[in-house]
Amino acid sequence: MFGKIKLKISVIAIVSIILTFLSQSTLAYYSTIGKATNVVTSGNIQFIINDLTDTGAEFTEKGIYITPGDVVGKKVNIQSDCDHPFYLRVKIVYGVDSQELSADDCFKLNIDENNWILHDGWYYYREAVQPYETTPNVFSHVEIVGAAVDNKYLGKTLQLTVVAHAVQSENNPIEDNKAYTASGWPKEQEGA
Amino acid sequence: MKKATSLLLVLLITVSLCFSANADGGKVIYDGNAKEFIFEANSIYSPTDLFTGFKSVMPGDSLTEKISIKNDSSNEVKVKIYLRSLGADESSIDFLSKLTLQVKKSDDNEMAYMFDSSADKAAQLSEWICLGTLYSGGEVNIDVTLNVPVELDNNYQNKIGYIDWEFMIEEYPIEDTDPKPPQTGNNFNMVFWISASAFSLAMILILLFYKKKQQKDTQA
Repeated sequence: MFGKIKLKISVIAIVSIILTFLSQSTLAYYSTIGKATNVVTSGNIQFIINDLTDTGAEFTEKGIYITPGDVVGKKVNIQSDCDHPFYLRVKIVYGVDSQELSADDCFKLNIDENNWILHDGWYYYREAVQPYETTPNVFSHVEIVGAAVDNKYLGKTLQLTVVAHAVQSENNPIEDNKAYTASGWPKEQEGA
Repeated sequence: MKKATSLLLVLLITVSLCFSANADGGKVIYDGNAKEFIFEANSIYSPTDLFTGFKSVMPGDSLTEKISIKNDSSNEVKVKIYLRSLGADESSIDFLSKLTLQVKKSDDNEMAYMFDSSADKAAQLSEWICLGTLYSGGEVNIDVTLNVPVELDNNYQNKIGYIDWEFMIEEYPIEDTDPKPPQTGNNFNMVFWISASAFSLAMILILLFYKKKQQKDTQA
């Protein structure tokens, strides 16, 4: 008698186990979460001012001794150092012992006016500088004007400083292919 | 002839611009066997970076990329896929607050923007948003658009912003009312075989028990 009951219980238990397995297929579900760390980075505009001698060496920071009438080889160009194109302008500032001079006072430069367009005291490069491109020379030599550099300049330090500004050309339309019409040029005081 | 060539050229340029305006971004795959997400795109900044095209952005940029989310699980299950944003990393808030981000479902555009806010915020995505129910091999695409204001100044050059997103799936068994999923070649029915094994084991045990009982009865 007990044997028959045990057998029935065993069968019921086993059928229950099987039903549990089957019912799992309709009730159970899994849930999984995954995390993504997304990144936004901003670009930049960077350039290098190259100041070279006729031989291609860097122009010495200490300067050179000059005499009136000298013509000094000094090649100045700008090299892009970024992934984005930009408009460019340069200005040459003259000085003596930290006092600003007018352009005609002591120096005469052979500015490449085919590539550099003068507007409001700045020379604008005629087109956008492409990533890692080097522009043509702004000028390649400097003449020390003999008539202007007289005895009052004896023992003094004459300075010629090149200031450059760049502004992105992407999303920055210009009028009539004139770079000076671009938006975002820094103010004169910023680096000038 | 010349006019036709010019028109063709304009058309080609227009088409190429359309394609370039919506670049492919990262891919998220739910692996049903491993029960985990696989992020197929990455960058030097993060191994799970889905914003592959949002690098070195410039003022005035408006960039869109498509992120696809795919269900790679067996035919026996369907999954509901959800997305939410945890917002920006604390160090990125200043930079990302200047940008705007929009997220929407691609193609049919049935869903309005599920996210339209400054990029540092979780905004509408702070709660789980269901992207849809996917059967085996199913895919849903979302378009993410990043807008960089043209006024962004030099202080924001070379910045990095981190935005965390979470994906969640809920896996459900296929029901009779569901559309028949495409065959993927994986027809192994685990529940059936476990049940069959359990049933066979039970039968063997019953037989052994019955045989033992018979032997006892004979001896008695």
